[in-house]
Amino acid sequence: MIKLLNKIRRTGRVAEPAPPRPPLSCPKAERLAGSVQLRHVDAGSCNGCEVEIGSVFGPVYDAERYGARLVASPRHADAVLVTGPVTRNLAEPLRRTVAALPEPRIVVAVGDCAINCGEFKDAYGVVGAVEDVVPVDVKVPGCPPTPEAIVTALRGLTGR
Amino acid sequence: MNLIEWGLAGATGVAVLGALVALLTPERARSVVAGIAVAGVGGAGLAAGVAAIAGEEFTAHLPELLPLFGVTLTLDPLGGLFMAVAGAVCLVAAGYGVSYAGGGHGNRSRSTQATLPLFTLTLVLVPAAGSVSTLLVLWELMALTSLVLVFTDHRARPQVTSAGLWYAVMTHLGFVAILAGLVVFAAAAGGDTFETLRTAQLSPGLATVVFAAALIGFGSKAGLVPLHVWLPRAHPEAPSQVSAMLSAAMVNLGVYGVIRVGFDLLGAGQRGWWLVVLILGAASALYGILHAAMASDLKRLLAYSTVENMGLVFLAVGVAGWFHTLGEERLAALALAAGLLHVVNHAGFKTVLFLAAGSAVRATGSRDLDALGGLSRRMPVTTALFAVGALGAMALPPGNGFISEWLLLQSLVHPPAGAGVTTALVLPVAVAVVALTAGLAVATFVKALGVGFFARARSRAPEQAVESPPLLLATTGVAAAACVALAVAPAALGPALSRATGATLGVPTDVVSGALTVRLAGIASTISPLLILAALVAAVVVAALLVQVVARRPARRREAPLWDCGAGPPTPRMQYTATSFAEPLQRVFDDVLAPETAVDTHLASPYLLARMRYQRRLPDRIEHWLYRPVLAVTAAAGRAARALANGSVHRYLAYGFFGTIGLLVALVVIP
Repeated sequence: MIKLLNKIRRTGRVAEPAPPRPPLSCPKAERLAGSVQLRHVDAGSCNGCEVEIGSVFGPVYDAERYGARLVASPRHADAVLVTGPVTRNLAEPLRRTVAALPEPRIVVAVGDCAINCGEFKDAYGVVGAVEDVVPVDVKVPGCPPTPEAIVTALRGLTGR
Repeated sequence: MNLIEWGLAGATGVAVLGALVALLTPERARSVVAGIAVAGVGGAGLAAGVAAIAGEEFTAHLPELLPLFGVTLTLDPLGGLFMAVAGAVCLVAAGYGVSYAGGGHGNRSRSTQATLPLFTLTLVLVPAAGSVSTLLVLWELMALTSLVLVFTDHRARPQVTSAGLWYAVMTHLGFVAILAGLVVFAAAAGGDTFETLRTAQLSPGLATVVFAAALIGFGSKAGLVPLHVWLPRAHPEAPSQVSAMLSAAMVNLGVYGVIRVGFDLLGAGQRGWWLVVLILGAASALYGILHAAMASDLKRLLAYSTVENMGLVFLAVGVAGWFHTLGEERLAALALAAGLLHVVNHAGFKTVLFLAAGSAVRATGSRDLDALGGLSRRMPVTTALFAVGALGAMALPPGNGFISEWLLLQSLVHPPAGAGVTTALVLPVAVAVVALTAGLAVATFVKALGVGFFARARSRAPEQAVESPPLLLATTGVAAAACVALAVAPAALGPALSRATGATLGVPTDVVSGALTVRLAGIASTISPLLILAALVAAVVVAALLVQVVARRPARRREAPLWDCGAGPPTPRMQYTATSFAEPLQRVFDDVLAPETAVDTHLASPYLLARMRYQRRLPDRIEHWLYRPVLAVTAAAGRAARALANGSVHRYLAYGFFGTIGLLVALVVIP
């Protein structure tokens, strides 16, 4: 019985030892003091990046142990994760989402499409890269970016 | 002459004079004349009623007024209570009517304005009727005058005619029932006056027939299920002050009739009667409030709420009769007092609600809750007054309806010792019905107030609404003040209730007493509405102060537009409507309400939808199952009877000849 209880107690703690703390990648992130709440906006992605973001917050990569967490409203968030090229229909909602963030409004462009439209460059429904619509602070290249790359970028914001 | 004689004589004189003058005056002044006359009649009725409650006695016999029997008037505390309520409602409605008709919104026709004082007079006089013939004449006059008033706007809206026809037929069927019952009663008693009827010894079977006829007749006037179908049609279609008079004063007289005949004239009779009254009351309460919760027409909602409240009163009357036949006089007095107090409270809040709703309808031209909204900014006073009425109708403290429902529950949860199985079964079910009704009433009036008056305007009309003229607000305000007084100091009515129940049950008891705290006879429960109100006010003030203290911290606030999920600002069409608010309840009561939904889809191609139409109707099921077949059979019989009248004069002469012969033969054969 005691053995079982101890196992239950230890289960929640099974994790690799944390790597050394990285330096902050964005000066705005200093005010966040190690905890970053994220709102994800799919501006027109093929959902490849979403799969990777999903695994970033899954049990294997578990970005939450570095202080990054997904939330359901930009009102609760410190930063937005934007994936995909910005399509016509999502350009205005993206601007409004960023405007709804509290200061210091950090924008993370995830994936090649978000950085330079990638595969969808010059497509008829695409307005441009995320940078053409809202100012971008952090870029995570890759098509799709590996979960390690996304985790590294998020650790650059949390500093943990 | 005592105050009652002065009051009744004055009321009659003012009403007749007012009606005549209203016929002669030009259109502009007509509503003022009618308003003054109605106010005079109402005030006189109120004074006479209060005098009767205070203990003045009055009996008058005027043999020359009616052939054969003459007119007998008498007033006891029970009649006085109903007369005072009717007088007070009419007094308030009078001032409202002057302004309502004055702005070019109401109908200022001769027929309407001259009928108003006469209708008021019949409302005031019915409780003073002291004989069967007097009661029947006044009852029929009341039906006819109210019918004229229901037909007021028949030129403006076609549905008024249909509503008026329903009312005409139902009220006359009710009249036939009362006539048959009371005439049989009078024939068996060998006299026409109530005094003779009281001393009559009827066989149990005959007494049951008389009571059943009276219950059908008076119950149909009070909107008792299944005789309620005319009420939610006719009450909303009348002008708003007439709606208030119908819903707050006239329906009460149905209750009065059942109490008068059942308790007073028949001496409470048999236990089974009151079980039927109780069950019908409970069914009306549930059915009425369920339909009120679904209604999206503001005045129809209020009319269904009248069905509900009259159901509660009948439930209380049924319980009182039940206890009375068990010999539990104190509990019977308590239940009857709860019913009478609910009559008073319902008259108060329903007057406020109909008058405030009338102001809203006058300002927007719409009764549809789904098209209203946003009136709290355009019409703040009307909204506040409607809120006072809605609080009363919700039966939550500190509203006035709460007190009477609390009294009713107290009489239900203290069953007499050693009661039988039926009592043990009926009382808990009645408690459940009252509780469910109260809960649904909260949903109903949250919907009426929240969708109709708060939030944002759903159409152009409420956006441009302007606050009503001062007279409309003042008269509605007087009624609202009366509601607040009833809510805060219901014990002030204690002596009146004690006298009225004492006069009805024949056993004088001090049923409700106390000043600040309401005490009940024979039950240890007490309640102090004023302290409840004080505690609520204190809680609100403390909460408001706390919010102030928290919000006053260093200004780190940033003004930002509402987060709308990035899709643009929400439009008024995204708000809850009355229909969507009631939808979950409708699902819960799907089997009872049986809504009819129809979805039409028009496809542009196999994959694309061009148009979609969704329709939902909530027909009154009782009307559908009970009345449609009767109407169909009647219509078929009417068509078949045409064969009898084919236009041949010879045939008609033959009918006359054989009819006379048959009658003569019958007279000879029957000894």
